[in-house]
Amino acid sequence: MSTRTAQGEVGVDSFDPGSPYRCSPQVSLRPEPFGALVYHFGTRKLSFLKTLPLVEVVKGLESHPDVHSAIEAAGVEEAQRPAYLKALAGLAASGTIEPR
Amino acid sequence: MASREKTEQTEDTPVVEETLVEEVSIDGMCGVY
Repeated sequence: MSTRTAQGEVGVDSFDPGSPYRCSPQVSLRPEPFGALVYHFGTRKLSFLKTLPLVEVVKGLESHPDVHSAIEAAGVEEAQRPAYLKALAGLAASGTIEPR
Repeated sequence: MASREKTEQTEDTPVVEETLVEEVSIDGMCGVY
């Protein structure tokens, strides 16, 4: 019964990439040439995922035991992983992805 | 010279994040429809 995911900083603090996540069922993910367009029907937020690997990570979260393995499976280079984790923390804060 | 050192540190990381995810506000579009 919590709607706290709509409040940015709470999600960042609680984001744990060692835990299983998924793309929120309230989110529509539409593939685009640049990556994907994300619309959250609950918060009415529209976002762009601007790389294809990030789209793969978000879509793959549900089938991986944690965020790290979803990032690895998407082929994200190690040097880029901290940036991806920060981006995913932001997506968790906005409710685009959520713990499962 | 010492005062310039402060600004250099803040410019590094956020640029990468912005290229991965960009949030767009569509609140102002309500009146369009």
